[in-house]
Amino acid sequence: MMDLIQLAVPVLLKGLWVTAALTFVSVLIGFNLGLGLALMRLSSNRFLSGFAKYYSNVFRGTPLLVQIFLFYYGLGQLSLIRDNAALWWVISDGARCAILALALNTAAYTSEILRGGLMSVPVGLVEAAQACGMSRMLRFRRIEFPLAIRQALPAYGNELILVVKGTSLASTITVLEITGYAKRLMSQTFAIFEIFAIAGVLYLVVNLMLIAIVRSTERFLMRHESQSRQGSSAPRSKESAAVS
Amino acid sequence: MKLKVLTLLACLAGSMGSALAAEGELSIGTEGAYPPWSMSDANGNVTGFDADVGALLCTKLAVTCHFVVQAFDGLIPALKAKRFDVIISGMSITADRKKEINFSVGYAELANMFVAAKGSDLAAITDVDTLLKSLDGKKVGVQAGTTHAHFLEKRAPNADLKTYDTLDQMQIDLASGRIDTAFADQSALQDFLDKPDGKNFQLVGVEIKSTYDPTLGEGIGVGIAQDNAELKAKIDKALCELIADGSIGKASQKWFKTDISRPCK
Amino acid sequence: MEFGLWQVWEAGWVTAILRGASITILVGLVSMAAGLVIGIVCGLIKWARIFPLSLLVDAYTSLVRGVPELLIIYLLFFSSVEFVTKVVTAFGYAGVAENGYAFVIAVIAIGAISGAYSTEVVRGALAAIPDGHIEAARALGLSGGRIFRRIIAPQMLRIAVPGINNVWQTTIKDTALVSVVGLQELMRISFVGANSTRHPFVFYLIAAVVYLAITLVSQAGFDGIERRLRVRTRK
Repeated sequence: MMDLIQLAVPVLLKGLWVTAALTFVSVLIGFNLGLGLALMRLSSNRFLSGFAKYYSNVFRGTPLLVQIFLFYYGLGQLSLIRDNAALWWVISDGARCAILALALNTAAYTSEILRGGLMSVPVGLVEAAQACGMSRMLRFRRIEFPLAIRQALPAYGNELILVVKGTSLASTITVLEITGYAKRLMSQTFAIFEIFAIAGVLYLVVNLMLIAIVRSTERFLMRHESQSRQGSSAPRSKESAAVS
Repeated sequence: MKLKVLTLLACLAGSMGSALAAEGELSIGTEGAYPPWSMSDANGNVTGFDADVGALLCTKLAVTCHFVVQAFDGLIPALKAKRFDVIISGMSITADRKKEINFSVGYAELANMFVAAKGSDLAAITDVDTLLKSLDGKKVGVQAGTTHAHFLEKRAPNADLKTYDTLDQMQIDLASGRIDTAFADQSALQDFLDKPDGKNFQLVGVEIKSTYDPTLGEGIGVGIAQDNAELKAKIDKALCELIADGSIGKASQKWFKTDISRPCK
Repeated sequence: MEFGLWQVWEAGWVTAILRGASITILVGLVSMAAGLVIGIVCGLIKWARIFPLSLLVDAYTSLVRGVPELLIIYLLFFSSVEFVTKVVTAFGYAGVAENGYAFVIAVIAIGAISGAYSTEVVRGALAAIPDGHIEAARALGLSGGRIFRRIIAPQMLRIAVPGINNVWQTTIKDTALVSVVGLQELMRISFVGANSTRHPFVFYLIAAVVYLAITLVSQAGFDGIERRLRVRTRK
């Protein structure tokens, strides 16, 4: 057992960095895309809001695995993509392709979470800001976005965990992250339970750290709120976010 | 709650003894995606050299064959979990695998080769050591859990190894240029070269025999659970007879256009 | 550019895909049912804070929610699950052991995942029932069983519907992951088809469309249920 740990842990830690990188880059892209989609969804332009709605339904209505295979094997087959250097740069590589799929996928969920957050901003506050003569951009930056983020944070924390878990699917398109290395170790040692248990612990640690970061960010954002409101608003949104 | 149900089921099952497959039936685990050894169609029927070997074996043993299709790197775990009685899936007999399962006598043997784009630097190489060295930093496709994967992990540690669950996926990536070369047995690569996808590719003129490195194994055998010595004895006897009377050689002529059967000791 | 739609039609893949879709739905339904049973039991334990058990439930839910589904499925499928084979064989499935086995593993894996999410939904719904209702029922002298049947269960169900909808959508999508262990469901059929015909784009696109159809139809169904429940409360 000790030998096994000595063999497996360094290898799986190599995978941990890849998992972390996949998560970081896809969340970075996915958050911005999701914010854009949420704003489109709330805009009065029928075309924009319609597009955002269909986008979100399509990406939330199909399994991530299908999306990853469709991008990697499906798009990789089309000469249209292969002849375009920039597109082929993304699609030709397993890791970049996984990031593309994860980012587009999390953007859909993020847009729903942020839309909920933006809709929860009291109209009175926005009107007050308008009355003060704030420009639309300034209003969004100073009033709507901070309030929406605060509201959306617990749900977004759950979404981050889903992204970390989603990166494991990258192993199906040759990316060697935690799960990919775990499978390789499995075929070398056949110590199935031990290897997957260690890999599972790594994921748990990553996710617990994420939860801790999200909680402390939440506390930081809520620092001006009174004690009682903090108590009443945080857990409620967490429950509704239990599943996303 | 779930645990309790599982324990209950486990107790229930335990009390029924370890009778495995129904009497008179041999369930065979195979990959179903490794032409010409083992292929499966839309309806899940298995064909190929291993399907023929299985059928010959079942006739000899007077049992009915039942194929279970399973990704290659999951075959040994599944055999150990008693999902089927034997593995017939072009599986090489290696020391590492022998720690987990038993093997019958070897029934076939093929050379291992690389495939690369026509006219590429790799394609021109003619000796093993240069070839392995020139893999450094190259993207090399290989099937997960195979002797080929283990061989490259050991002998070409600086290659960027891409492992695939199925050969088909590897061929798709080879054709699209995602990987520079692929390592497999000659028959599998020939299958790729015969397809439209493979028209711009050729075999690298280096045959790597299993004698070159023990990770490549000692021929292809039937995998059998370690606690099933009785079955191993039966299968060994049957295989030796089938090799001796040329049945396996004939089957291999059909799929490989050459006799790849390995004489039984 | 050749899409190969014709080969898909010609080689009988359409029926194979439809068969796969029905297995996907079946795995989804059975796992969801198992998950709901787990969810109700574990949710009650968590809500009522039944001490040693609630710790177990906490461990179970955080484990399943923190570890990738794919890893759980690999673990269940590849590790020593000898007894599943025995159970399957004992129930006379020896002939269809191939799909029977993968099906059982699929249901255990997806059911366990779905159960963890259901637990949170059930607990949340229970927590949303005002304490006053239960206290009032106690004051009226209703027995514990009746309080659960008459007061807790109906309210809980109504509050839980949107959450259950979410769990169902997640469950049906998670079934795609079972394809990696060989169950002949929608994703697996698409995978085999994509590889053997060399038209991955068509096959995965079809798979995406079928999954989308399943989720959209069930979304509409849940919307209907929610509407119905709302109307009933108004009367």
